[in-house]
Amino acid sequence: MDLLATLEQHAEQAEVFGIESESTQVSFEAGEIKSSQVRETQGVALRALIEGRLGFSAAGGRLDVEELVENLVASAHFGEPLDLHFPAAAAGPDVTTFDPRLAEVPIARFVEIGRAVVARLTKADADAKVDVDINRTTARTHLQNNAGADIQHEVTGFHLSASVERVRGDDVLIVYDSFSDIGLSDDYEDMVERLADKVTRAGRSAPLDSGRMPVIFSPAGAPVLLLPLLMALNGDAVQRGTSPLQDRLGDELFDARLTLWDDPTLSGRPASASNDDEGVPTRRKALVQNGMVETFLYDLKTAALAGAESTGNGSRSLFSPPSPSTTNLILDPGDRSLDEMLAGIERGLWVESVLGLGQGNPISGAFSNPVGLAYVIEKGEIVGRVKDVAIAGNIYEVLQEIGGLSQESIWVRGRYHLPYIMLNELNVVRSS
Amino acid sequence: MDLEHLEKALAASRSDYTEIRLETRRTTRIVYHGRRLETVSTVMDQGGIVRALVHGKGWGLSTFNSLDDLDKRVDQAYQSASVVEARPITLAEAEFGQDEIRAALDVDFRELPLKEKQTLVGRYNEMLLDYPKVVDTQASYADQFVTMTYVNSEGARIIEERPQSSLYLVATAREDGNVQRAGDGLSTAAGHAALFNLDDLARDVGQRATDLLSAETVVGGVYPVVCDPKLAGVFIHEAFGHLSEADFVYSNPAAQEMMVLGRRFGSEILNVYDDGTLPGQRGTHKYDDEGTPMQRTPLIEEGVLVGRLHSRETAAAMDEDVTGNARATSYRYPPIVRMTNTFIAPGSSSFEEMIADIELGVYACDAIGGQTMLENFSFSAGHGYMIRDGQLAEMVKDVVLSGNLFTTLQHIDAIGNDLTLSRTGMCGKGQGGLPVGTGSPHIRIQGVAMGGR
Repeated sequence: MDLLATLEQHAEQAEVFGIESESTQVSFEAGEIKSSQVRETQGVALRALIEGRLGFSAAGGRLDVEELVENLVASAHFGEPLDLHFPAAAAGPDVTTFDPRLAEVPIARFVEIGRAVVARLTKADADAKVDVDINRTTARTHLQNNAGADIQHEVTGFHLSASVERVRGDDVLIVYDSFSDIGLSDDYEDMVERLADKVTRAGRSAPLDSGRMPVIFSPAGAPVLLLPLLMALNGDAVQRGTSPLQDRLGDELFDARLTLWDDPTLSGRPASASNDDEGVPTRRKALVQNGMVETFLYDLKTAALAGAESTGNGSRSLFSPPSPSTTNLILDPGDRSLDEMLAGIERGLWVESVLGLGQGNPISGAFSNPVGLAYVIEKGEIVGRVKDVAIAGNIYEVLQEIGGLSQESIWVRGRYHLPYIMLNELNVVRSS
Repeated sequence: MDLEHLEKALAASRSDYTEIRLETRRTTRIVYHGRRLETVSTVMDQGGIVRALVHGKGWGLSTFNSLDDLDKRVDQAYQSASVVEARPITLAEAEFGQDEIRAALDVDFRELPLKEKQTLVGRYNEMLLDYPKVVDTQASYADQFVTMTYVNSEGARIIEERPQSSLYLVATAREDGNVQRAGDGLSTAAGHAALFNLDDLARDVGQRATDLLSAETVVGGVYPVVCDPKLAGVFIHEAFGHLSEADFVYSNPAAQEMMVLGRRFGSEILNVYDDGTLPGQRGTHKYDDEGTPMQRTPLIEEGVLVGRLHSRETAAAMDEDVTGNARATSYRYPPIVRMTNTFIAPGSSSFEEMIADIELGVYACDAIGGQTMLENFSFSAGHGYMIRDGQLAEMVKDVVLSGNLFTTLQHIDAIGNDLTLSRTGMCGKGQGGLPVGTGSPHIRIQGVAMGGR
C-alpha cells in the first residue's frame, strides 16, 4: 500500500522522504591502490503533523512499515505544536545536477586518474605519503507530501580527495584538499596543483614574532572567518535567540566590499537543487550585501518558530529531521589580483588552515586558533612555513574593515566559492 | 539473520579471504532545548558489509542495506577486489571461534516506556533551568541497541549485542553580553540504572555555568599546568594515541622512525595503556570488528614507547602481534585501527602535592574541544582555576592549551594516584563517532602555552 496514503489515515499532514544511492570508490594509500568499494544505501524518513504536533521517524534497510508508523505516531505524541505546512507542488528554478555520462566511466579510468594524481603529488615530495580517494556517486531522493508535492531529485557526484603526509624527524606536515563536480572533467587538476604547491611552499620554515600584522586567508583558510557568520545567519540560532545578528537585519555591520550569496541555482554543482529537501523552491539570495545583513536561512520548522518564511534551505540526511543549511556559498571577488595584494605586504601571515576550527564560543564571533598550515610573507613573497603561532580576533571587529579581496576565487570543499581575504591587522601570537 | 545463511554465502565466495558483518540498530533520542522538548524519535537501521581479499589483488568491499541477496554482495566484493592491482596484503594470524555475547543490562531501556525516559530527561533539564542565570539548556538522551553478527572465512562466528545509553546536559548562563556554557554527561553500556542518579551532575553543570559568568579570562602566558583526569585523558587520546595507531606508521618509513619502539617519550613516571577489556568502559568489547579478541596493550612504559595498536593487516605488515584494535563505526565502514580505552596509569602524587610548590599556575579542567595536527595540538578546557602560592585560587575561563606533543610529554613531571576513567567519549577518526574510553589521574605539565588573546 502507498506509504503516504497510510500516513494520511493517521495525520493531518504527512511527508515521505526516500533516499537511494550507489557509489563506487577506489582508494590509494601510500601511493598504491589499496581497495575498491561499492556502496548501496536506501532508506525512508517520515514526518507528520498529528493534532498539530510534528513527529519524525526513519529506517534504513528493510522497511517495516508498521513499526515505522508506530514510531512516527509516538514521536508526534511528544512533538512540538507547530504552525507548519508542507508545501504544495511548486516548480523551482531549472538546475542541472545530473550528468548521465558519469555512470558510463569505467573503474579503470578512476584508477588511472588516481595514479596520475599520486604521481603529481609524489613529484612535489618523493618522501611524502600520498593518499587519494576517488568516488563516484549517484543519489536519488523522492519527496512526497499530502499537499501534493511529488519531487524526484537526482544528483551525480565525482569526488576526489587527496592528502599528503610528510614526516621529517619530529616535524609533521599534513595537507589535504578535495574536489567535487557532477561529472568528470580535468578540472580537478587545479586542486591537485594547489596541493602540490602547498607541499613545496611548506618545505622551508620561517620564523615570525608576535604582533599585529596583515594576514591573508586563502579560500581554504577562510572558514575561520566565515563559520561564526554562518552560525549567526542560521535560522535555527535566530529562532533560539542565540544569534548576535538577531535584530541586525539591514544593518551595515561589515566592510562594504563584502557580499555573500547562498546560491542553490547554479547548474553543475552537487549542492544545487530546484527544490530543497522539504520541497520548497530554491532561490539565489544575498546573506550579506555590501556589508549589510540581508537574510537569515530558514527551513520550514525554524521559519514557523521565527514567524518567517522558509528560504528553501531545508537540508536533511536520512536519520535526522531537516535543518537550515547553506547550499553553494559564494563570496563576491574583489578588484585586485592576489599578486598585487601580496606585493603590498612588508611582513605578514598567510593562513591555509587552523587547528580547532569552531572551538570555544564561535557564535559570539570570537576565534582563537593555532595555525595548521601557514606561511610567513616577507616583502611581498612567501618565505616559508611557520608553526607555533596562533591568530585571534572577533569577526565582528575584523570584518568591519578588511584589507581587500582578490580577483581570483576558488571552489573549496565542493560548496564554497571564495576569493583570498586580506585583513590589514590581526593579532598573531607566537606560542613558544 | 541466522548463521547458517551467512555460512552459505561465505562458502560460495571466490575470494581468498571473506568476512561478512551485519548490524541492526535501533536508536531512540530525546532532546530538550531550553523549555522546549524538541525531539523524541526512534530510528531503525539495518545493513551490512562484505570485505574480501584476493591474492595478488587488494581489498574489495561491498556495503548495503538490503540483506536479501548476500551471495550477490559477496560476489560484488570479489569483483571489486579483482580490479585492484595492489601490493600484496597479508593478514596476521589470529584465533577464531564461535561466540555469542548477550547484553546484560541492569535496567533494560528497551522495556522502559518512552514517557518515563522523557520525564527523566525533563526533570534534569528543569534542574538546570532552576538556576536563575541559566537562559538556555540542552538535555540530550540517547539509547541505542546494536546487534552485530560477524563471520569470516577463517572460522569466526560471532554475535554480539552492543547496548549504549547516554545523557548529556549543557547549561548556558548569561549576564548582559557575557554568555558562558558548561556541560557534562554519562554514557554507559551497563543499562539505564546509572541515568536515574544524575542529580549531582545536573547541579554541577548549572552551578558551573553560573560561576563562569564571574570568571576572568586566563591571562595568556606560559604556566605550570595541572590537568584534571578528563582533560589529561582526552589529551593522551588525541595527542599521543593517534600516533600509536599503526595505520599512521606502517606505510610511512619516516613516521616509523619517529615512532620507533624504544624511543623515550617522557620521564620514568609515564605509563600509557590501551585496554579493551576493562569491564563496563566505553571502548570495551570482547572482540574487535575483525573478530580478534580485544586486549590490554602497553604503549608507553617508564617513559619509553613499547607498543602500538594494530589491525591484522598492519600487524602483518610490521611483523608484530595483533592487538584487537580494528574497529568500525558501523556497517557502512570497513574496520580501521582505532583505540579502545586509552589511559595514563596512576602514579604516586596526591593532588595537594602537585600544586604545593606551584607559585603561579593553572588547574585546567574538562575538555570541550581539541584538535591535533599530529605533533601540534590545541585543547580547550571547559574551565580552570589559577594556582597561587600552592593553593587553588579564582576560577578562570577560555583556558586553551597548545603546544608540541613531544616536548609536552617530556614536561609531565608529576602523575597523580587518582586514575579516573571518562564517562563520555567519542572518537571521530575517518568514519565519524565511535565510543572510546579515555582516562588519567591528575597530571602536572611544566611550561604549557596558554591563551592567545
